[in-house]
Amino acid sequence: MNTVEEKLWNYIDGNCTPEEKEAVSRLIEQDEVYRRKYDELLLLNQEIAAMELDEPPMAFTYNVMESIRNENALKPLKARVNKNIIRGIGLFFVLTISVILIFALASIHWSAGVGARPSAIELTLPNISHYITGPAMQIFLFFDVILALYLGDSYLRKKRMAKEDISVQTGGQQPKH
Amino acid sequence: MQSKLSDIELIEQTLAGDQSAYADLVKRHQRFVFTLAMRFMKTREDAEEVAQDCFIKAYRSLESFQGGSKFSTWLYSIVYTTAMTALRKKRVDTDSIDDENTYIQIENTGGYDVNNVENKSRSFYLNQAIAQLLPDDATIITLFYKGEQSLEEIAQTMGMEANTVKVKLFRARQRLKEKLERNLKDEVKELI
Repeated sequence: MNTVEEKLWNYIDGNCTPEEKEAVSRLIEQDEVYRRKYDELLLLNQEIAAMELDEPPMAFTYNVMESIRNENALKPLKARVNKNIIRGIGLFFVLTISVILIFALASIHWSAGVGARPSAIELTLPNISHYITGPAMQIFLFFDVILALYLGDSYLRKKRMAKEDISVQTGGQQPKH
Repeated sequence: MQSKLSDIELIEQTLAGDQSAYADLVKRHQRFVFTLAMRFMKTREDAEEVAQDCFIKAYRSLESFQGGSKFSTWLYSIVYTTAMTALRKKRVDTDSIDDENTYIQIENTGGYDVNNVENKSRSFYLNQAIAQLLPDDATIITLFYKGEQSLEEIAQTMGMEANTVKVKLFRARQRLKEKLERNLKDEVKELI
């Protein structure tokens, strides 16, 4: 502690040890200069503590929330795609490739001999032609069409909602941003 | 009631998708954030822009708030860095931000008549003196007296050591006292 003021500020802020506190309070009681300085600093301390905060404009919260809503609406679709969907698609491909690989390896005739020349691997794929029948194909295509319509509809809805959000922003109560 | 919820509870609700919870957080802290922004930007328009920017930034990175400190301390550190950046940008082609003289400005608040000395209270002179301080000094005083922040929390907000903040607070109060005395003396001279 260097100066009288510094000692007194520490005393006012309660940042001094019990010994220092006792010493300063004794000085304030006994020394006129200390007492006057202490009264002066105490008054300033009270005035600063009583100082009023600035008041922001009435629409401040509204403007902040509108900016946040606007930002969310303008976020590109790819940023909003659920990561689980991406992971699911990735998992589907990995599983498909793994199944094909396992099936291919299982169907190799390993007993062809060690010294035998490597020949083209004979794959015996299961005969699935009887599954691809007329009605099955129709159901498959029907499902595809429904899925495409559903996805198209949700895409157009999102686009319209984003447009509405922007038009609200630029409408009657104009926000800052 | 929503208004009685703590900052942490409001943050949890916001992260769960309830935007009105964040609006409550903004309402709760807007006065202080705006005041801090005013310590740097001086004009209400610029301060409003900075304060808004701070709340948007805080919303964007709300997930990264760990709760290790008070939300207010975390928010004020965003205000401090955002306001400093805005101030540097604003003054890039003019004087250095360390030049104390560049901050000396007389702010005519609201319905006050600057020529009518009788109407001026001591609090007016105090606000005037704070407006004349360097942003760092004004910020430390504001955080200490109005932000309910300890020296350690102010240190965290401003990226300094607690001891440095203690020294800076002492010097800031000294400068404030000097400016207050000078302004009052000038007014007395004008009267004579």
